[in-house]
Amino acid sequence: MLLMQIDWFFLVEKLSLITTILLISLAIAAYATWAERKVSAIMQDRIGPSRAGIFGLLQPLADGGKLFFKEEIIPTNANKFIFIFGPCLFMTTALMTSAVIPWGPSFEFAGHTVSLQVADINIGMLFVFGVVSLGVYGIMLGGWASNNKFSLLSSIRAASQAISYELAMGLSLIALLMLTGSLSLREIVDQQHGFWNDGYFTWNFFKQPLGFFIFLVCAFAELNRAPFDLPEADSELNMGYHLEYSSMKLGLYLFAEYINMFISSAVMSVLFFGGYNYPGMDWVSANLPAWVFTFSCVSVFFIKIIAFILFFMFIRWTLPRFRYDQLMKLGWKSLIPLALVNMLITGGVILWLTK
Amino acid sequence: MGAGVLILLIICGVAFAGGGIILSWAIAKRSTNLVKGEPYECGIPTSGTSWIQFNVGYYLFALIFLVFDVELVFMYPWAVVVKSVGMVGLVEIVIFMFILFMGLLYAYRKGALKWM
Amino acid sequence: MNVATILFYLLSAVILGGGLLAVTSRKIFRSAVFLLFSLIGIAGLYFLLEYEFIAAVQIVVYVGGIVVLIIFSIFLTHGSGGDMEKPVLIRAVFSGLAAILGCALTYLFIKEQVFIKSNAAAIEPSANNIGSQMLSTTEHGYILPFEVVSMLLLAALIGCIVIAMKVKTEK
Repeated sequence: MLLMQIDWFFLVEKLSLITTILLISLAIAAYATWAERKVSAIMQDRIGPSRAGIFGLLQPLADGGKLFFKEEIIPTNANKFIFIFGPCLFMTTALMTSAVIPWGPSFEFAGHTVSLQVADINIGMLFVFGVVSLGVYGIMLGGWASNNKFSLLSSIRAASQAISYELAMGLSLIALLMLTGSLSLREIVDQQHGFWNDGYFTWNFFKQPLGFFIFLVCAFAELNRAPFDLPEADSELNMGYHLEYSSMKLGLYLFAEYINMFISSAVMSVLFFGGYNYPGMDWVSANLPAWVFTFSCVSVFFIKIIAFILFFMFIRWTLPRFRYDQLMKLGWKSLIPLALVNMLITGGVILWLTK
Repeated sequence: MGAGVLILLIICGVAFAGGGIILSWAIAKRSTNLVKGEPYECGIPTSGTSWIQFNVGYYLFALIFLVFDVELVFMYPWAVVVKSVGMVGLVEIVIFMFILFMGLLYAYRKGALKWM
Repeated sequence: MNVATILFYLLSAVILGGGLLAVTSRKIFRSAVFLLFSLIGIAGLYFLLEYEFIAAVQIVVYVGGIVVLIIFSIFLTHGSGGDMEKPVLIRAVFSGLAAILGCALTYLFIKEQVFIKSNAAAIEPSANNIGSQMLSTTEHGYILPFEVVSMLLLAALIGCIVIAMKVKTEK
């Protein structure tokens, strides 16, 4: 009887969507490591990975395979349960955010409407905000459980940094929310339909440039990317919280970091750069077959994501690292007041326009 | 159906992470000795435990964070409806934020936001 | 038995199991992790009820805020990795009794309470409805509590600064 009540089409649809997203995030994370090495090489006038395959394209596979065969070392003094639990949690939270991202427009398939979004919960933005705050646990638990002074310092640095920048991030999102009036990511994307409407741009970036800037800085800080990579500052802390990790557990940490970068690039393009919308999409949808439209939307979305990932990398290899007191000062004394001011200005402008 | 799908996603994520660890545990070679289990610090034997008491400054930031986090949560429903409520809504939030801004100012003047 | 019921029992098992392990674990850090599980389970229950806003608030405030604070306070203690000492027998007995009494009392209240079936249409607990109720200045609006909350938060902020700064200057 139980089997009858499950909507099998729904289950299969969601399961295949989740698997696809998982595999795509893995592939993108793997090739992001390759791209990072290439970008750094180009910026430093080196060649970068070049031996495995053409342009070193097989390098990520070699690296991944190597991680599986590496010996696993758990320090004698470590807290074993939390030591293993840390990287799993980090990976799971990295993947959780992908649930609410609309990857493309809905389409018809075998008489059903297939939505390219794992869960269309109507508080998507708040969900993203919540899962981001969960992300800090993986680092905090892993670093603490290693029982190593470097790791512990790194984990507490990461935690303080993450919570400080979360506030500014939330405040910059509120200013955006006042414009959209909805927390659902699907609806936010639909509002940014096309590129130009009623004599103004539809993408939120043009309405909230300051908000986007604050969000971007906070995203760098939440991702522990340079110039905010204090938790894993290799010259001070020996890679920080994953110092004691080896084998696949280290792999999970490294992969999850790149998946985080991928997902936050997706969130940024959904919130500020129109997600899967692009100029002239109405023409494509009217004149070309439906599958071309869906495919083009998804590709545009991924192009935006990859552009953001490359941007993250350029910044990493350009700017030097902050000092910790500068980091805290920037977060609490500059970004939070700036975000509050942005919010009030947005509120004023909205009321002035609706009058 | 949101809860079911989210749980499905969590299960997939855990299966993926756990699967990777178990696979590498199964195929990797293992050997152990005393030196290998030591903390990877400087090469010389480490002194003292790592789980030491931390500076209270970190805790202070966490406390202030929590207060503002709760404030943020109250502002989300406000932001959704500010368009329809109009001027009254803006005045209400300005009062709300003014009171909290006093708190931030107090923290600033007391030096709580100063690092160390 | 449908899917929702199974999910309900699954989540309840996570909540209760997490809570039980958090209380009985000898390692304080492990307790914090189990508490995390328990709180996430509660957020899951809210999702199941489709109170999505409340679920997100549960994640943002409790899972992402309070537990971080708890872990920070563990960092403040000496020897956070060691086992806690076993409680004295008499204390264990009394806390067990208190727990049982609490359970019995709650059960009694729920059993005695007569739940009246309301005929009014259910209000959708969306962020929009919560927001407009919260800001409304009419008779059934919640604007006064909303403003009072900010006073409460201010008091909490000042309180924690006063206490923590005292420790900071003493050091």
